[in-house]
Amino acid sequence: MIPIQHFLVLSSILFSLGIYGVLARRSAVLILMSVELMLQAVSVNFIAFAVYLSPEQFTGLIFAIFVITIAAAEVGLALAIILRIYRNKATANVDEVDMLKW
Amino acid sequence: MDWVLFALIAIPAATVPVFMLIPSRYPQLVRNVAAGSGFAMFVLSVLVFVRYEFTGGSGLRFDLQLDWLENVAFLKENGITYHLAVDGISAPLVLLTGIVIFAGVFISWNIEHRNKDYFVLLFLLVSGVFGVFLSLDLFFLFFFYELAVLPMYLLIAVWGASSNFGTFTRTKEYGAMKLVLYLVGGSVLIFIGIFATFVEAGQGTFDLPVLGSVTYDETFQKTFFPFFALGFGVLAGLWPFHTWSPDGHVAAPTAVSMLHAGVLMKLGAFGILRVAITLFPEGAEFWAPVLMTLGVTGALYGAVSALAQRDLKYMVGYSSVSHMGFVLMGLATLTTIGVNGAVLQMFAHGVMTALMFAMVGAIYDQAHVRDMTVFGGLAQKTPRLAGFFAIAGLSSLGLPGLAGFVAEFHIFVGTFNTYPWAGALGILAAAITATYILRMLAMAFFGPFNERWAQLKEMRLGEQFGGALLIFFIAFMGIWPAPFIDRIADSVRAIPGLS
Amino acid sequence: MVGMEEAWLIPAIPAAAFAVLLLVGKYLPRRGDWLAIGAVAASFVLFFPVLIDLLDEVDQPGFAGVSSGIDWVKFSLPTGPDFQLRLGFHVDQLAIVMLVVVSFVALMVQVYSTGYMKGDPRYGWYFAAMSLFVASMLTLVLADNFLLLYAAWEGVGFCSYLLIGFWHERRSAAEAAKKAFVTTRIGDVGLLIGIILLWREAGTFDISEIFEFAENGGYSAEYLTTAVLFLFAGAVGKSAQFPLHVWLPDAMEGPTPVSALIHAATMVVAGVYLVARMLPLFELADPVALNVVTALGLTTVMISATMGLVATDIKQVIAYSTINSLGLMMVALGSGSVTAAMLYLFAHGFFKALLFLSAGSVIHATERQEVSQLGGLAKRMPVTAAVFALGALSMAGIVPLSGFWAKDEILNVAGDHQNFVVYGFMMLSVFITALYMVRVVILTFLGEPRDRGAQEHAHDAEPAMTVPLLLLAALTVVAGFVTFDGVGEALGFPGGFGEFVFSEEPEAFHFPLDVAVLSTVAALAGLATAFYFWSGEAEPARRAAETFRPAYETLKRKYFVDEVYQWAIDRVVLVTGGVVAWFDRNVVNDTGVDGTAGLGVFTGFGMKFLETGKLPNYALAIVTGVIVLAIVFMVVRV
Repeated sequence: MIPIQHFLVLSSILFSLGIYGVLARRSAVLILMSVELMLQAVSVNFIAFAVYLSPEQFTGLIFAIFVITIAAAEVGLALAIILRIYRNKATANVDEVDMLKW
Repeated sequence: MDWVLFALIAIPAATVPVFMLIPSRYPQLVRNVAAGSGFAMFVLSVLVFVRYEFTGGSGLRFDLQLDWLENVAFLKENGITYHLAVDGISAPLVLLTGIVIFAGVFISWNIEHRNKDYFVLLFLLVSGVFGVFLSLDLFFLFFFYELAVLPMYLLIAVWGASSNFGTFTRTKEYGAMKLVLYLVGGSVLIFIGIFATFVEAGQGTFDLPVLGSVTYDETFQKTFFPFFALGFGVLAGLWPFHTWSPDGHVAAPTAVSMLHAGVLMKLGAFGILRVAITLFPEGAEFWAPVLMTLGVTGALYGAVSALAQRDLKYMVGYSSVSHMGFVLMGLATLTTIGVNGAVLQMFAHGVMTALMFAMVGAIYDQAHVRDMTVFGGLAQKTPRLAGFFAIAGLSSLGLPGLAGFVAEFHIFVGTFNTYPWAGALGILAAAITATYILRMLAMAFFGPFNERWAQLKEMRLGEQFGGALLIFFIAFMGIWPAPFIDRIADSVRAIPGLS
Repeated sequence: MVGMEEAWLIPAIPAAAFAVLLLVGKYLPRRGDWLAIGAVAASFVLFFPVLIDLLDEVDQPGFAGVSSGIDWVKFSLPTGPDFQLRLGFHVDQLAIVMLVVVSFVALMVQVYSTGYMKGDPRYGWYFAAMSLFVASMLTLVLADNFLLLYAAWEGVGFCSYLLIGFWHERRSAAEAAKKAFVTTRIGDVGLLIGIILLWREAGTFDISEIFEFAENGGYSAEYLTTAVLFLFAGAVGKSAQFPLHVWLPDAMEGPTPVSALIHAATMVVAGVYLVARMLPLFELADPVALNVVTALGLTTVMISATMGLVATDIKQVIAYSTINSLGLMMVALGSGSVTAAMLYLFAHGFFKALLFLSAGSVIHATERQEVSQLGGLAKRMPVTAAVFALGALSMAGIVPLSGFWAKDEILNVAGDHQNFVVYGFMMLSVFITALYMVRVVILTFLGEPRDRGAQEHAHDAEPAMTVPLLLLAALTVVAGFVTFDGVGEALGFPGGFGEFVFSEEPEAFHFPLDVAVLSTVAALAGLATAFYFWSGEAEPARRAAETFRPAYETLKRKYFVDEVYQWAIDRVVLVTGGVVAWFDRNVVNDTGVDGTAGLGVFTGFGMKFLETGKLPNYALAIVTGVIVLAIVFMVVRV
């Protein structure tokens, strides 16, 4: 059986990639994708711990499904917003979109 | 009879939806409903006062207890109860509220601008005031306390008046905001105090009689007495946290000023007595010199400030600060006589200051000016208005035969017993009161008639009725104070730590 | 049968009349003046059964008056006796003397007023206020405890305010009313403090209980001295003693009958009455207390007498003579003699009311009150002139008018108990009093008319006004005789006034010839000097004024006391008020309150620049925050 550490390393890598993406990218779509990456890293963790620590319970798995569902909903919402921004500003570069300041 | 207490809170609250259902194209119907409801409250408050039973003991009458929340995690079996009762201290104050709102409805008769909304807020406020006087549960006491304060904001900001005094201006929004921020600031302290007491008592209840049966640690008392005293003190116009009061009065419409100075400021003093002094006798003893100093300072400072005012409302506003200083002095004596005097003064000041504001409003409605120096000889044109104003003023300067004297006499006697210097300064403040009242009367009402006011008419009938009602009680208490003092002394005796 | 127990009826009747007049007065025929007069008459009539009852019992050993009353306020205290305020009435010899003066003069004045105030638009209100005054004054006289005394004390002050300001359309009347109330109120601060100080140790407001407590040594001497001096402050204000005398001359703005009743015969002597009543306490206190009374009394006598010399308003002259008389009574009390003070009070009530009412007739007839516009009225108003002269001579102390006997009694006790300086000044004051009283008679009634227009229609007034004058004149002549044993015997109090009214020991009637001769000489000298100065063209008076111009100016400007007060009010009181109000607005409010609010706004303003609106910045902040938190938790290991 693969030791749990492998999963944890995988999820850390995914999560770090996600953070890097969120911080470094300027395109709103890419940032959204990076956020998804971070969410999936969390899901991997959930599933790994669920299987390894308490295989008879499904809590972790259920949470993973929750995460996926909510992520899907969130993507729908976020993409809609980005689309609106792109329509209005003709750009999806987050550096140029700073309407939410004072 | 217990239903009376419930009804007192419920009637104004239930009138609110009735107001909302009346289409706004029938303003007269709104007024009639308000008058009817005001009358009902007046009658019930008189009933509470009259049917008070002298059975001795701790002095709770008409005890009504309804469970609201209990037996959940942090609350034990008593929990939060809707616990209403009157004792000899709250009975006169309930009566006061009934009088002032009944008179206030008539004073507000000619409000045209959105009068439905006005009465909705006014009655919500009154519901809160009754709630504070009647609640014996700290949770509900606080709830009603906030309910009484918040409608003030809209009442002042929407129906108030902005004033320009040449060197400075005071907008109604400013007055409203300052008032509410101050009072909410005080509430924060009270809120902290309530939870600290709840935890320290460990009884799992907010019920005041239960909390009062606990003996608190001395350090705890000394630490948390100021939270209550200061928190409630803000509403009582405790110096130096009084500036919301004159500015609030100047901005507020007449009936709101009446309720504000007549009743609302009493909530603060009542809170100090009911919560701070009753729960923390040792804390009270420790802090009494400070409270006395602040009270005396407020009394003198308010009187001297009033001396320099030209605006009638500012003058009355500062006189309220001064008179509430007397109340705090009476409380700070921690003697039976002094505390009796303080409660008497709450009632006396309530009726007389309400009358004064009503009369200022009656002038302002017609003249649209409140500067006393531009008037002159009004007594010739409006003798009744002048007479009513003079009676209120004379009561406030402590003329025997009117309410103010009885109260101030008790306060001074009590104060002399404990702090003679403060008593002497208090009497001096009363003498200054005479000066500014008489100065105002001489300026505005006596002397040669100023022809500029030839169009001025006597008060409206409603104003005369409201004024006469207030005068009746001023004279009644001045001539025969025994019914008041018997009730007050009955309960003050039960407060621990008074000598 | 009404006895001393029912004495409360005496003030209650006018009080009830006031209530009726206030509520329904304007619907009554003649605006209810008959009701007011009837009430006072009833009080006056009730006085007699009370007097008879008193005379029955006064001989019993240890008689100290009869009290009756009900509790007004009463509650128990955790320790000590109950706190008790009573509506209690007390009749004793002192009270009965005041009672007759007040009720009789009030009756005379009310009757007189029906003529004097005829046609006034506030005729009804006048009688209502007068009834309230009479009720308060009678209550003051009969009060058996300090609370009721203080309440009535304030009550009469308030009525005085109402009636001085009766013609409030006149700015000067409104100002005078205010001045009177505020000035006496300053004294009342002292009175209230004194009362509470006495209560503090004794635990009661009852006057006789306090006496008992004091006699048993309940108070230390210093404490008692402080307390009685505070009490005396009240008397100084009410009885217009220096330095609070300034309100009384101004109070002449009120209708003249008001001046006669309130500012001559009754209210202003309340201070004297208070000190007389409290004399046992003054005697137990340090001698300083009585010396203060004497000193202020004497100062008052001298300044008022000298100011009376130059006053030109007929009412003002009489007002100064009132202050003068009040000072004399204070000197008598300072010398420890209740008898002398009360005898003077008794006589003074009648002749001073007479002076004011006859001056009122003059004013009513001529509508002038400056002496420079009067003169020669004796021909047109013979009765008024005669009774006025009678009053003036009584005030001047000419034998055998009542003023002579009363003043002589005071000079006696001053001679017995005070040093020669006091005695000398008292004699001097007799001279000056005669001087200015005769002066006003000469200027008003003798010589040639100076303003003919004013005199065309002048004549003696209608009977309603003249009859009270005659009755008062009769009393002015005979009232002094009560001091004789024989007269007292005939009236039911053997031993005369001195046996009847006293504080420690009865003072038998004595009449040292030297004092009488000296005072008569002084008075006659004053009379002669007055004729020399002011008869005819008054040339000598004018020359004297020229020669002593600074002194004349000082007197004319009332020793600058008013100026000093005005300065103090303008430059000290109102400035303090202004400073405090400014402080409140600018420091407490604009700096303290708005400053705190401004601090919040300012902080918010600074902080808002952290909100760049750029997503990467926020994201970076979140990540940094998480990392920092993680490090903190790892290090601290919470």
